[in-house]
Amino acid sequence: MNPSANNRTEQLEIDASAKWPVLVFFAYGLGWLLLGGLMQVAAAMQLHTPAFLAGCEWVTHGRLTPAAQNALVYGWGMNAAFAFGLWLMARLSATTLRHGGWLFVAAKFWNTGVALGVGGILAGYSTSFELLEMPRFVSLLLLAAYALVGVWAITTFSIRNTENVYASQWYIFGAAFWFPWLYAIAQVMLFQAPVRGVLQPVVNAWYAHGLYNLWFVPVALAAAYYFLPKILGKPVANYYLASLAFWWLAVTSAFAGGSRLIGAPVPVWIPTMGIVANMLVVVGVVIVAINLFGTLSGRFEAAKSSPTLRFILLSIVSFILAAAMNLALSMRGFAATVQFTLLDGLRDWLTFYACFSTAMFGAAYFILPRLTGKEWRSTALVKLHFGATALGILLMVVGLSYAGWTQGRLLNDATVSFTALTQAMTFWFAFRTGTLGLLLIGHVAFLINFVWIACPINSQGTATATLRTPPALSLEGHA
Amino acid sequence: MKNGLALFLGVFATLALSWAGLLLTAHKQIGSLGQFKDPADETLYPQPLSGLANQGRLVYQDLGCVSCHTQQVRQQGFGNDLAEGRKWGERGSYARDYIRDQTVLIGQNRLGPDLRNVGSRLGDAKPEEYAQWFYKLLYAPQSVAAGTNMPAHPFLFDVHPVAGRQPSAHALALPSKFAPGPGLEVVPTPRAVALVAYLQSLKDTYDYPTERSRNTPAPKEGGH
Amino acid sequence: MSANDSNFRVEQSAASDDSIQQVHARLQKQKPEKTDGYSMLPLVLLGLMCCAVFFGSIYLAHFSLRFDPLVYSEHANREKPGAVKVVALTRAQMGKKVFDTTCIACHQANGMGVPGQYPPLAASEWVTGSEERIIRIVLHGLNGPITVEGKEYNNVMAPLGSLKDDQIANVISYVRASWGNTAPEVSPETVAKVRAETAGRNTFWTAAELLKIGN
Repeated sequence: MNPSANNRTEQLEIDASAKWPVLVFFAYGLGWLLLGGLMQVAAAMQLHTPAFLAGCEWVTHGRLTPAAQNALVYGWGMNAAFAFGLWLMARLSATTLRHGGWLFVAAKFWNTGVALGVGGILAGYSTSFELLEMPRFVSLLLLAAYALVGVWAITTFSIRNTENVYASQWYIFGAAFWFPWLYAIAQVMLFQAPVRGVLQPVVNAWYAHGLYNLWFVPVALAAAYYFLPKILGKPVANYYLASLAFWWLAVTSAFAGGSRLIGAPVPVWIPTMGIVANMLVVVGVVIVAINLFGTLSGRFEAAKSSPTLRFILLSIVSFILAAAMNLALSMRGFAATVQFTLLDGLRDWLTFYACFSTAMFGAAYFILPRLTGKEWRSTALVKLHFGATALGILLMVVGLSYAGWTQGRLLNDATVSFTALTQAMTFWFAFRTGTLGLLLIGHVAFLINFVWIACPINSQGTATATLRTPPALSLEGHA
Repeated sequence: MKNGLALFLGVFATLALSWAGLLLTAHKQIGSLGQFKDPADETLYPQPLSGLANQGRLVYQDLGCVSCHTQQVRQQGFGNDLAEGRKWGERGSYARDYIRDQTVLIGQNRLGPDLRNVGSRLGDAKPEEYAQWFYKLLYAPQSVAAGTNMPAHPFLFDVHPVAGRQPSAHALALPSKFAPGPGLEVVPTPRAVALVAYLQSLKDTYDYPTERSRNTPAPKEGGH
Repeated sequence: MSANDSNFRVEQSAASDDSIQQVHARLQKQKPEKTDGYSMLPLVLLGLMCCAVFFGSIYLAHFSLRFDPLVYSEHANREKPGAVKVVALTRAQMGKKVFDTTCIACHQANGMGVPGQYPPLAASEWVTGSEERIIRIVLHGLNGPITVEGKEYNNVMAPLGSLKDDQIANVISYVRASWGNTAPEVSPETVAKVRAETAGRNTFWTAAELLKIGN
């Protein structure tokens, strides 16, 4: 067969059909990334400089923190996931994204919902449940928007022209269903027909863990499984284990939410179950590591010349690190010390930012030239983006681990007064603010490049991209 | 896996399994947890919040206090919440303590102290004096807790000149460094009053006999 | 350097999409049997899985504490709890609540009453004496002059017949066992009997009437 020529035409068509929806989602996502990032830096600053923005009710710390978190998760995270997921589903199903106009509607609805939600939090209508702080009425808007996106992804999958279903498609397919179910059930059990007593935090923990590990992580893994063979020209190592990893991770991650409730006034079997689930997750993570690092082995040189590969590598390493951190925080002795500290927050940050967001950055560097037909104008900004992100992640992990450990030891030392604790932590709060600022610089660099490549007026100065037709993947490379 | 349907069923089953295993079973257990009637004084515990305190709970949610404060005292033997110096409670929190709370905000961050029993930390002070302490903490945290990083909430208070009216009985007595200036007084708004009522209602004083007996540490044996 | 740079401008693919899918579909079906090194992997993974499940189940069994909804501490006693011991409170202990709600306003927390106004209950012969009298006082109230511990009082005590029999029995037992009083407790049956005997009565008792009843 002569697939190459056919593939190229088809792919151009697919990319053309996906262009505007994906660009719009990415644009919204980047806007939220910047706005959420600024809010996050401001909130972080309030920890060591409490007088900062203190007088204004709209940006008091208790409102700014959840607003920033929601802006990043539902604004940046979800928009980026939609953009990438839709494009990848279309590509791997070898079919165009039909009636893309509806996706504009979805984007508008979703982002209006998020804007109303974030604004609602700042105005004082927060529900105070982690990741569900947005006022109740917003949930319908978000679910309606999601329905459009989800239906598009699933329909594209169901009308696929390919005989085989690749690993990335399983992950996107799974995530596409898990998120709305998680979100809808959490909304019902917490707000529509509120459950009783401490069951509320249990539902909240199940939702939060599910959002990170059954939506964001699968999308990141879908990216990793796709871009590694795509860029390295080598099949995934030990691919026959990939489906086992998928199901194993799915089942175990769903139960691991209880590990967020160690020591909480919930029946002790709930955190125990979460701990056991986190122990079992390790097996799935090991298999994914075998798959992905096996593919990379001997080819690490390629990362020097590929921004996508660099970011994906960062993402994979962070995935493993996040799983390790989840496991560590499940050890009761360790949890007793570092619960409720900065280290606890690091767990989710690693999953959402270091694993998922970096994967999305990597995906963007690959996808956007293909959609717009232009190349990235400034390689310096690309390198700055990667450098800032990598350095920022390193600083956060090392710094906050140490800071969280210190904070935990002081918290559990009954002779240390809270003011003494705060004074001891001031440096680390400032450190955290600085690191978040560094990451924000990288994002600004990315935004500038994005505007140059994607916005029709600004991109006229950008050179056209020359894309070579890729050869077929060969089996001999698999080792 | 080629079959979309098989994939869908598997995806559904994994989430359904965790929902049933974790949430449904927990619901069966916690949903059937009732109030406990003390045989001596024939009162049901835990008691629901008073109306003003309930409104204060809404203010607590609105201002996002949960992002820095937890409301869960950990059990004896796990962390040091009950030790002298911290004394965040007489005992660890039980699930039954929360069954009458409409929103349970046990929190995840301890950037500030745990608040579950903050209403019972008044020591020798009278409730009105303790309330004053809270008002000062909310208006100018540095005035009662120097070096804290708790943000000030001046918007919960009304600062107005005293001239031409009776000085308010509820005006805060602030040290000169934090006082608004001569001729001005700081009076709590209804939101502040409700919030402080809520904070003062936070006390889990009753010790349920069944929970107490079941949560006492096992006697140390050689085998363990 | 230029290849480096050019990749930073646009990422080239090294494999087409459908070849990726086709190759991996074939790989999924066939496990690599060629090199010796790879036959170890499934065994190692199987071993890892078994270890994880093994340790996980031990941990689950050890720390789930019978899935008891009332246990929140992982250090709690792992033994099955025995039957719930009924906390046996005496009538006097249960009567304190009624006293604190109803009687304390006049007779005071220390049972000393208010001199000249409300008679004391501590060391009162009316309290420690006949059950018949005190039950009647509680059921229908008392007015008119009464001598308690040698002192005269002339006031009205409201009837408390609306209380239940066991509440009345409890509060009477409480006052009979407090502040130095050591009279035996009163049972609800006695209260019920007295209530039945005086069923028609709807006026206060007087001291003179009561002194004729019981001894």
